[in-house]
Amino acid sequence: MRYDVIIIGAGLGGLECAALLAGAGRSVLLLERGARIGGCLQSYRREGFSFDTGFHYVGGLGEGESLRAAFGCLGLLDLPWHRMDTAFDRVLIGDRSFAFNQGFDAFADGFEREFPAEREAIRRYAALLRQVGQRQWGGLDPSAAEESFSADLLATGAWDYLTRNFRDPLLINALSATSLKMELRKESLPLFTLAHGNSGFIESAWRLAGDGSLIAQRLAERIRERGGTIRCRSAVTELVERGGRLVAARCADGEEYEGDLFVSDVHPALTCGWVRRSERMRPVYRHRLQRLANTFGMFTVSLLLKPGATRYFNWNQYVYRRADVWDFYQKDAPVGGVLVSCRVPTDGSGYARQIDLLTPMPWTRCADWGDTSVGRRGEAYEAMKRRVADECVALAERFLPGLSGMVERRYTSTPLTYRDYTATPEGSAYGARKDYREPLTTVLSPRTPIPNLLLTGQNLMLHGVHGVTMTALLTCAEALGRAYIWNLLKGGNE
Amino acid sequence: MNREDIVKQINGLLAEEFEVEESEFAPEANVRETLSLDSLSLVDLVALVQQTYKIKIPVSDLKGIQTFTDLYDYIESHLPKE
Repeated sequence: MRYDVIIIGAGLGGLECAALLAGAGRSVLLLERGARIGGCLQSYRREGFSFDTGFHYVGGLGEGESLRAAFGCLGLLDLPWHRMDTAFDRVLIGDRSFAFNQGFDAFADGFEREFPAEREAIRRYAALLRQVGQRQWGGLDPSAAEESFSADLLATGAWDYLTRNFRDPLLINALSATSLKMELRKESLPLFTLAHGNSGFIESAWRLAGDGSLIAQRLAERIRERGGTIRCRSAVTELVERGGRLVAARCADGEEYEGDLFVSDVHPALTCGWVRRSERMRPVYRHRLQRLANTFGMFTVSLLLKPGATRYFNWNQYVYRRADVWDFYQKDAPVGGVLVSCRVPTDGSGYARQIDLLTPMPWTRCADWGDTSVGRRGEAYEAMKRRVADECVALAERFLPGLSGMVERRYTSTPLTYRDYTATPEGSAYGARKDYREPLTTVLSPRTPIPNLLLTGQNLMLHGVHGVTMTALLTCAEALGRAYIWNLLKGGNE
Repeated sequence: MNREDIVKQINGLLAEEFEVEESEFAPEANVRETLSLDSLSLVDLVALVQQTYKIKIPVSDLKGIQTFTDLYDYIESHLPKE
């Protein structure tokens, strides 16, 4: 059978593109290598409980806010979203506490109370974050003039901006402390990534009562309702080009699917590898994508707590040993920073049963076991996981004293786990590294040299649920036209 | 690295990476036309020069690079001092 669109990879970006393209009347086939859809949104079950891997909270779902219209188009607004506390992110650095409040004014007010001498700088930063959310779809607006707002943010270093704008190093650490959700790296992180990664959450912050796979399941329902097909355990091994266009996807099981348009939600370097012979894709493009560096991975400790051990907390708690938020993870030292995230209780008890602890883990810490597979990595690997998990729990105890005694069971995952379940090179949590010194070559276009092959997903421009959703809309704008997507966003539905 | 070395090296790389016969590279030939560059593959050229010579070509300088001679000149004048 021939399809209008073949999408490779059922991560968030692939699912969103499939839903939008099926909604536009295209016949869509979505091919997923793994046994389950969701990519970084996958959850896993252990003894009756589901645990998240990549997903913890989203921002900007309130009326008129930055993610709402896109989620409306995708049918994701009526999932059981749970608004977090006004102080939705709280930070402990040494013995100092800070709070991120929802709403740009409340956010600025909170930091001004702690750092009154930096009032003007805090206001400027809050205004920048607000603007980033308001202008995020500017590139799609047919009536908008050519603008350099995003390009300027991409070419500015986040660290440089913060150190220019603020004087107090503790304030810089505090404002960066919730940014475990990106790779804080002084030499490369663009201000664009820092600003987008914070803006939506400050508009409003939400957890899901349930796990992240609810998002994937809802998108899958929508794809099927609109006539699309999803095939799991279908690993693409070749994209066949004829006459300068892709014509078919070949899978490991011997199936071959013909299509008019191909969208890849898989790492661009892997995608290029599937195009074995091409008139269009020259070595220079392939080599450029193969050179893309990856952001760090995450180490996750999923804790199942004894019933009634501690009350649910409706915020994220970030705990740091000291004010080295930007580089603790590069040091050869015990875990220096951890995010403590609490699952919304669904039993009505008001007590927490599931808590996740997350800390960055560069690939170099796992590389020794790079050629092993799940469940067969050996005792040294298990010992490393136990040690890092113990360090995470010990650090989290600064916020939740007695935590180690509350634990009924604990599970861990590493960048290796992530690599093997999501096909992300080096188990990178946030995809290819964007570099403000080289925005032209590290921020990728959805377009490729082959006119009917598009890219999507976290490796292109922005990561996270918000960033990947923005990217999916931009990818679909290449296929359906900018005006179509713009009107969809303005109308809020198909 | 003298000019002759630069010309030889970059021509060899361009031929291999862009799959164009080196014999088509005349000093006054247009780089974009000869290498069939569009807005996407222009980025590839920038990346190649950067990777090879550690020279970043800002977007604003790209207009100035029309012929192969322009490209050689740009590389020669921006090479990091040894």
